[in-house]
Amino acid sequence: MSTHTKKILNGYHVVFLAQSAMIGSGILTLPRELSSVGYSQTFLPILFGVFASLTLWPMVWLNLKYPNENLFRINEILLGKGLGKILNVLIILQFTLFIAGIINKYMHLIQSTALPEQTITKPVLLFLLLLIYIVNGGIKSIARFCMLTFFLTIGIFYFTYWAVQKGDFSHLFPLFNFNGKELFEAMGKGYLAVLGYGAIMFYFPYIVDQKKAFKHVLTGIWISISLCFITVLISVMYFSEWQLKHIEFSILNLLKSGELSFVERFDIIGVTLWVFLILTTVAVYLWSAKEGIVSLFSKEKKYYIYVLTAIVFLIVRIPFPQEFQDKFFTTVNYIAYFLIVWPSFLSIIYLLRKKQVQP
Amino acid sequence: MNKKILLFTTLIGLTFLVGCSRAEHKVPLEEIGLAGIMAFDYIDENKVQLSVAIPQHSPGAKASTQVFSVPTELLSKGIVDIEALSDKKILFNQLRVVLINEEFARKGRVERMIQHLYRNPEPGNKVLIAIVKGSSEELINADYPNKPDINYYINDLLLPTINTAFNPNTNIHDFIYTATNPVFDPLLPIIEKKDDKLEITGVALFKNNNMFETLTPEEAFIIQDLIGKKKLAPLSVELNQGHGKESLMLERVKSRVKMKSNKNIKSPKLTISLFYKGTLVEYTGERENDLHSPESLSKLEKDINKQVEEEVKKTLNKLKELKVDPIGLSENFRMYYDGKWTKEMTEENISKLEVDIQVKTSIISTGTLD
Repeated sequence: MSTHTKKILNGYHVVFLAQSAMIGSGILTLPRELSSVGYSQTFLPILFGVFASLTLWPMVWLNLKYPNENLFRINEILLGKGLGKILNVLIILQFTLFIAGIINKYMHLIQSTALPEQTITKPVLLFLLLLIYIVNGGIKSIARFCMLTFFLTIGIFYFTYWAVQKGDFSHLFPLFNFNGKELFEAMGKGYLAVLGYGAIMFYFPYIVDQKKAFKHVLTGIWISISLCFITVLISVMYFSEWQLKHIEFSILNLLKSGELSFVERFDIIGVTLWVFLILTTVAVYLWSAKEGIVSLFSKEKKYYIYVLTAIVFLIVRIPFPQEFQDKFFTTVNYIAYFLIVWPSFLSIIYLLRKKQVQP
Repeated sequence: MNKKILLFTTLIGLTFLVGCSRAEHKVPLEEIGLAGIMAFDYIDENKVQLSVAIPQHSPGAKASTQVFSVPTELLSKGIVDIEALSDKKILFNQLRVVLINEEFARKGRVERMIQHLYRNPEPGNKVLIAIVKGSSEELINADYPNKPDINYYINDLLLPTINTAFNPNTNIHDFIYTATNPVFDPLLPIIEKKDDKLEITGVALFKNNNMFETLTPEEAFIIQDLIGKKKLAPLSVELNQGHGKESLMLERVKSRVKMKSNKNIKSPKLTISLFYKGTLVEYTGERENDLHSPESLSKLEKDINKQVEEEVKKTLNKLKELKVDPIGLSENFRMYYDGKWTKEMTEENISKLEVDIQVKTSIISTGTLD
């Protein structure tokens, strides 16, 4: 199989890997996360895009210094074997929990809309089996799946036009009537929706044209950012501020706003199609976590993926109290921010220890 | 070797664990009752009479609709009670209409009930809401000899049509949107049973989550016009501008509304311009025989402008007195206001509002006869 030859990802693969890893469960609730700034949230996705582009730069810069290593190896090189390994274990753990969080959130949505009278054990199992299948194919198969997913699901956005017809354009008028604290809260909660581009640090060694990787990932980021922007824009037009704050899954309600002559409840179709978007995001993370274990034990074994998936399943299915679950996953999510700023920190270490750590 | 052990353990596991699986009870389609109408009647402060109408599809059924009715405090408790009465599992995926009787609308907790439906993922967002004069339970139980099924009848009645252009067609989303948006007050159509048919007789105006005042269809028509509804209903005008009593009908081709505020909430001023473009379909009155020249038509246009201006002004003055804003006129001020807008500000704004109305009518033809 092609997984063992190193350089396998072309430009398109990179674009869609970056794009799909970003669009997952976060965008479903994005307008609510941003609701502390009210109608002014429209411009926030653009701000996120600028942030993402800025933080991407040190990632690619660092990777270009070690074109054949991923972040796990770079950690070991720059921080020393012991410290690097401890950190890698933490990253793997964080990814596993992060995956569980995403699946948990999506299954919660599915349970309350499409399958109100069933437990979610079976859907989660089927989801994880499919996930294992995709990830077993290696990063190239994930990238291809991402491309497929993008074109399968992009159509959903067309069906938000009902909401545009009903919406009020005057809500978009920029007022900036919020204070710093509200902005900070919105940024903190909302930025989660655009995480995921950081995975470049793990599949970078597989990219054929590494010089152009920055440009490709940037394209992916801005595709995702524009999707987030459209979602937020339409939500702001369609909802009142109270609704923005209280509706959990705004996309669901946007899709609910109209009907086709032959499909009455488009929201159910939309939500179930969304599983593809969740699959791509989770697949990228799972693959990255697997790479982490490979670097930890310095050898490749097939069962790593199965073990990781089993852990994810247990976390999703263990009946923690809801309150604990919410707190737990929120904390895990915030740790994800660490990965965004970590490369900048590593870059500084690289500059300080330049002589000792030549690859 | 390894694989054999794995297979073996799996098989043994499966054999013995089979007994642990529990058959999930799923309701077959024949045992589902899809509710079409839900109605609320006021009993007292805490209690409400909940009625649910379920269309019957079995060919053997004599009546086309089955109606259940229970008194309840909680909406979901009422639904459980109704399920106990019914032979079927009741689902709300096909809910089309929510009826609220006038007393409940005036005194009850309407917003809580609608919010419950809005929270529930089962009903779509397109469920229409209407106020019923009298008892809504009686209304759905009544006999309508010309109509096969009350479920479809009320739904069709409430759907947008040209002839009931004054109907705000409020659905669940619209109600929640206007109730929670500080610059709006909700509007709901009122239906009434007259002999053996139903009629939309007016529009109910809400304020602070309760019904507050009724508007006539004419007033409601002007409000819909100012909201800028895209649907072009024919405009009927009773002229009274120095030529005796005249009446005419204008079939509109294009209509547009533009609002411009002075952005000052201390002394709010709003300029509303209305453009109508249409065909003069019918006219009776003094000038019947000399409407052939462009000059006489432009004179008529001016008279129509004046008349419509007066009517719009009258309606707006009424809203001003009531301190309600179903049109969302205050949105023109909110969008320039740097701060949080509240319901009180809307009230204050509308009571102080000065409105300048400019109507521009243009008659593009008078039909094919000269």
